[in-house]
Amino acid sequence: MNFPHFSKLMVACLILFPSFTGCISEDKSDNELVILTYDVNALSDSMISKFENSTGLEVKMIKVEDSGSILSYLIQNKGVGNVDLAIGLDNTYLPTAIELDLLEEVSIVQDSISGRNSSSQMPALGPYDGNLATPFDMGFICLNYDSSIVDGLNFTIPTSLWNLTEPEWKGKVALPSPITSSPGRGFMLATLDYFDWQNNDDDFSNWWTAMKDNDAIITSGWSEAYETHYTGGYGEYTEGYIGDAHITVSYCHSPGVESWYNGNWTKSASLDIDKTAFFQVEYASAIKGGNSENAEKFIEYLISSEVNSQMPVENLMYSVLEGQNLPEENGYRFNSIIPSNPAVISNVDIGKNMEIWLEEWNEAMIKSE
Amino acid sequence: MNNTQKFFSILAVFIYSAITIIPIVFAIDRLILVSGFNPILWIQSLDQNYVSQNSITFTFVQAFFSTILTVLIGFPVAWVLGRYSWPFKAFLRSILTLPFVIPAIIAAMGFLTITGPYGLDVRTDESTWWWTLIFSHAWFNIALIIRFCEPVLSTLNPNFEEQLLLLPNGITFFSRLKNLWIPILTPSIAAASCMTFVFSFTSFALVKWITVRDKTLESTMAEVSSSAGIQGYMESSSDIVLGASFIQFLVLLASLWLMSFLQQRRQTKWQQASELFVQNKNAKGWFVLVPAIFFVQLPIISVILGSFRVRDVSENSISFKWSTEGWYEAFQGSYSFPPLSEALFNSLIYSFGTLIIALPLGYILASTIHQLEENNSNLSRILEIYTMLPFALSAAMIGLGVMLGIIKLNPSAAYDFRFLPVLAHVIITVPFVVRIILPALRSFDLSYDENAKVLGMSNFSRFFKIKLPLMKGSILVATVFTLAMSLGEFGASFIVARNSEWITLPLLIDSLRGKPMKDPLTVPSSNAVATVLMLITMILFLIVEKFRNTKDRGMF
Repeated sequence: MNFPHFSKLMVACLILFPSFTGCISEDKSDNELVILTYDVNALSDSMISKFENSTGLEVKMIKVEDSGSILSYLIQNKGVGNVDLAIGLDNTYLPTAIELDLLEEVSIVQDSISGRNSSSQMPALGPYDGNLATPFDMGFICLNYDSSIVDGLNFTIPTSLWNLTEPEWKGKVALPSPITSSPGRGFMLATLDYFDWQNNDDDFSNWWTAMKDNDAIITSGWSEAYETHYTGGYGEYTEGYIGDAHITVSYCHSPGVESWYNGNWTKSASLDIDKTAFFQVEYASAIKGGNSENAEKFIEYLISSEVNSQMPVENLMYSVLEGQNLPEENGYRFNSIIPSNPAVISNVDIGKNMEIWLEEWNEAMIKSE
Repeated sequence: MNNTQKFFSILAVFIYSAITIIPIVFAIDRLILVSGFNPILWIQSLDQNYVSQNSITFTFVQAFFSTILTVLIGFPVAWVLGRYSWPFKAFLRSILTLPFVIPAIIAAMGFLTITGPYGLDVRTDESTWWWTLIFSHAWFNIALIIRFCEPVLSTLNPNFEEQLLLLPNGITFFSRLKNLWIPILTPSIAAASCMTFVFSFTSFALVKWITVRDKTLESTMAEVSSSAGIQGYMESSSDIVLGASFIQFLVLLASLWLMSFLQQRRQTKWQQASELFVQNKNAKGWFVLVPAIFFVQLPIISVILGSFRVRDVSENSISFKWSTEGWYEAFQGSYSFPPLSEALFNSLIYSFGTLIIALPLGYILASTIHQLEENNSNLSRILEIYTMLPFALSAAMIGLGVMLGIIKLNPSAAYDFRFLPVLAHVIITVPFVVRIILPALRSFDLSYDENAKVLGMSNFSRFFKIKLPLMKGSILVATVFTLAMSLGEFGASFIVARNSEWITLPLLIDSLRGKPMKDPLTVPSSNAVATVLMLITMILFLIVEKFRNTKDRGMF
């Protein structure tokens, strides 16, 4: 059998294809800003267009799943220089990014950001005050409960984390995994401080093991916990809804968001138990090897009063600017609590111990009581 | 084989190795650098990490039950379709086997809509998710049972059954089943079950969307893939990926061996007869066919309807309206999601790019195997097995291999080279091209070619005037199959391209569906994209059906 001609034609295709693909692949230009982020609502079409029109830069987005994926992406691409700006690293991931030398310093004037010039209940610069990362939104992560079911009659309102390990709560608590979710990571850090505060570090492992044995629903992300399992939120209006959990991890202002969307009505409430809330701050950071000048322009825009004051509405998070608060309309602020005694864990400790704590958490979850 | 042929054969094997094997080897090397070389520890790590705990058991158990249910649903359909005559039979067969070519993510969207709170509202506990997954796997694989069993049923000479009716062991239906049909059909059912098991074992999109807590090895691997292969950071991810890949490789390799063994038994020659002679009318068969058509079409229809059905929440009450807003949203796009047109363009470019490489490469490899076979060379067997190796790799393994392999070669290429998904798609499709072209080459009557040679026709003319017309059916099937597989491919693309700007249609569906559900257009817009992908796939499938050789009805 002979096939040289046809083979030649096909081999030519094979050889030509890579050259063809090479022609189409694009080089990054100076006039371009590549942002690595997850689905941050604040980065709306109109907001980006306005930035593009005022600076002449073209914005390109690389979208990953969450804060953790941003960090993984940056580590995998260290030195590649394909990203200029990362938006969405939070204070549970930032210390690792700093330690691994992934971020570039920028000279942003941060005077308008809360926490430097005054004492604030929510100091945005509290967890990190430096030039490697600029806060752009914040909020407390804490337990939320469905007040229509957890009403003191059908279910008692928990006053301690141990209450959740009781038979009453079997299979009724949805917690995002700290391995794959940043709110999950924030809550895990809070539980560390909670048991440290009670002078019993061993209880951290014991509590998580007890929660697992009590059929706590561990989800891969916040969306799955809040939308699919939690009965108190907007999830019940969505298609994937299951509704088997009356307590979940979300933000302390999530009930406020529910109320704001529902015309001053919500059945969700935040649980204010001492040392169970974690103060989360999300950052924008220029990336080493990228165009930090362009990144700086976007960070300035992101913390400008015009953009950042809209965070509660556009991104459903607190603005980091001094003097800003949640809107009062439709019970947004009224239904959003600021925890009276939140957990405190320093960035240095997080950077140093996160891997160890995650390992401890994993050990607790795979062992049975 | 002359020198020119040798040159092209060696070049094809070299290119195939460079594209397929080298990235996978580099990826494994990178993972081993993080985890060390200890397969037992890799496997143990699956149960030592909460994120992957129980995934081995879940993967095996769901694949086993999916296979059982697929046979239970698929066999009666194959029987009725094969043993009796039906109006528009080819069309009926196309409809019933359509799910196999529908991308799994579309099936996931369809089943979610059916079982969700605004469908049957049965998605309330763990057992429902479990059965939804098992049924969706049965839906997806029912075509395998039909394709493998129906040709045997429809062409077996009825004399066998008539003769058996006269014997004591053939009086009742069950005795004929035991003494005739089971022995004849067992290899076909077993081969189809084997493939069903493999597809359910490596299921990703359906598991990702339908089950809530349970994960297969494939979906676990995809979940931790972003942090795999990094030294000093989340190293457990590398252990998990290696453990999951190792088990999958062994299971898929064993399945391939079993399939090859069963295929040989299927080739046992039974006395055959024309379908017209074998089949008669049986109106009762509609009691099987109608529910089967309903079962097969329901998820497809629900996806189409779901693209026009928009949730309307007002004052704590919920209602639905029919609207094209979902389509508008899908076509409009945003900074977070590209418009449908862009994803469609990317998908088409990738599928044609895949075709440009996979078809000639697969053709030359198949020709080389065939040439070596003619010389009775052991090399032909070795090369045939070598080209089948990607069958033993799941889509996520291939995606991860390409990603980590390219990072090792050139980190920037992994994110700048927008044709990276083509590489993954080529690895996936080349073995299929070889499997489709090789039988056609084997059945090609060489006397045509030899006569033309004697008549003085050049190589070029002989190829275009004799060989191509005779083989055009198989080449077209391979072409369309490559395009369809590339268009609907999700697992490998999810790992290679999810973080890029070169998003494909299946990735766009996944991303849109992953948006917070408070946006009422989340579901309709993802269903709109799914509808477009489904329509393209269906058109390609109908083209394949038109050109499929009747002898190849058991082949995909």
